[in-house]
Amino acid sequence: MFKKILIANDGSENAARALSAAIELAKEHGAGLHMISVEELPRFPASVDEIVEEQEEASHVYEAVASQAVAQAAAAGVKLTPHVVAGHPVSSISEFIAREGFGLLVIGFMGHTALYNRIIGSTTDRLVEHAPCNVLVVK
Amino acid sequence: MHNVWLASSVWLALALAASIISIRAAISVALIEIVVGAIAGNTIGLEITPWVNFLAGFGAILLTFLAGTEIDAHVIRRNLGASVGIGAISFLAPYLGVLLYARAVIGWSWPEAQIAGISMSTTSVAVVYAVMVETGFNKTELGKIILAACFITDLGTVLALGIVFAHYDAWLALFGAATAVVLWFLPRFAPWFFKAVGYRVSEPETKFVSLVLLSLGGLSQIAGSEAVLPAYLIGMALAPSFLKDAELGHRFRIIAFTILTPFYFLKAGSLVDFGAVASSAGLIAVFLLIKMATKFAGILPLTKRFNFEAKEGMYTTLLMSTGLTFGSISALFGLTNHIIDQRQYTILVTAVIASAVVPTLIAQRWFMPAFMPLDPPAEIIEEESHV
Repeated sequence: MFKKILIANDGSENAARALSAAIELAKEHGAGLHMISVEELPRFPASVDEIVEEQEEASHVYEAVASQAVAQAAAAGVKLTPHVVAGHPVSSISEFIAREGFGLLVIGFMGHTALYNRIIGSTTDRLVEHAPCNVLVVK
Repeated sequence: MHNVWLASSVWLALALAASIISIRAAISVALIEIVVGAIAGNTIGLEITPWVNFLAGFGAILLTFLAGTEIDAHVIRRNLGASVGIGAISFLAPYLGVLLYARAVIGWSWPEAQIAGISMSTTSVAVVYAVMVETGFNKTELGKIILAACFITDLGTVLALGIVFAHYDAWLALFGAATAVVLWFLPRFAPWFFKAVGYRVSEPETKFVSLVLLSLGGLSQIAGSEAVLPAYLIGMALAPSFLKDAELGHRFRIIAFTILTPFYFLKAGSLVDFGAVASSAGLIAVFLLIKMATKFAGILPLTKRFNFEAKEGMYTTLLMSTGLTFGSISALFGLTNHIIDQRQYTILVTAVIASAVVPTLIAQRWFMPAFMPLDPPAEIIEEESHV
């Protein structure tokens, strides 16, 4: 049913659960598995240094996340291709799906504080709404 | 508050709060510091002591210096016509437009109008760079031209700030001569010195650069100029060393962003008067509109001249209409030197902050060229993951 599956991984515990589910699904469906992590850069920065530091920190974190995910998938006999993009998580992931033609997005529940969720909504809510494909939310 | 430790703890508590908010909201820490400073200044009242002025001033100098170190002269040389053309017009059009409006329409004095023109002439290299990284345009020739043009605009701003209000006397000649000697000598001496002392916990390289920055800053003040002018020029002169050695910049950034720049941005915010923002909202909007309109009038035709696509041209022009750090530095220079009053400072800084946000949002919402994501680690890891 799904030929290309995308797992969004921010390095959180919920994302790790989503990764396990995505690997299982990819194996079951014989689908290609890709992983996306988004470097969220500060909006309206005052100096280039802010961006450089943020990128260095994110690269450091996501390199480890990607290596671990690739190894986990390989152990299950699945090839996983990781991608890192810079930008806002919702728009970056949505545009990536549209461009690469994924059939399913697997995400862990990505929330904020209860107050933030109530007022603005969680990243998960917005991905479910905006992603141009089916979305599986793993809790 | 006469207790220096308690007073400094209040400033650092605000800086820490700004850092945490900025991480949660993914918004620039500097912008949050200005807003937090403005709220604190209008509610609890922040005392601006001589030591706060020193830390804030040193923060502005280091910010400007670090901005100078980002300049890649090869990129400017390779795209000399487009980057210098767009950059120079990007400075001159809003500078003259705002200057003339402030002088002729609302009757500000010439020095006040000069500060208004300089503050609104800026382009935020950082805002442009962030958007470029997000879209992957920083790796394209178009992106490099835009970034190089931003540096030229900033150079125009610091030159104007350093020259317009200078006293044309022997001190200025001495300052000019000393700066010229340092600019000639530093690129030859500093790489050797950095290599000789290495990385030590005592940070001799940081002390050396700070010594040069503060000495020329002091001389510039005597000459009626502004310390950010030599700071930017020294940054440019040392850019090859900083581009070659990322660790060097990292060490400077830690020092600047931990203890110096928070004082600068909090101070800049604390001097904003909310009453003046409310009573002058119309004028703030007019300044922002003039800045954007003049950037459009100046830059958009040039983008056509240099064969940009229509959407790329609009996108470039909108990004070149942003501004933050150099605009706030210029306005604060005016207030500190009693050229403008607090109401005028509030109007200018608020318009500068709005110029960081409004053009970026319009550019990203309606004029974003084709999406080109960063994708660096994929290939590296892919090679290791054959199943």
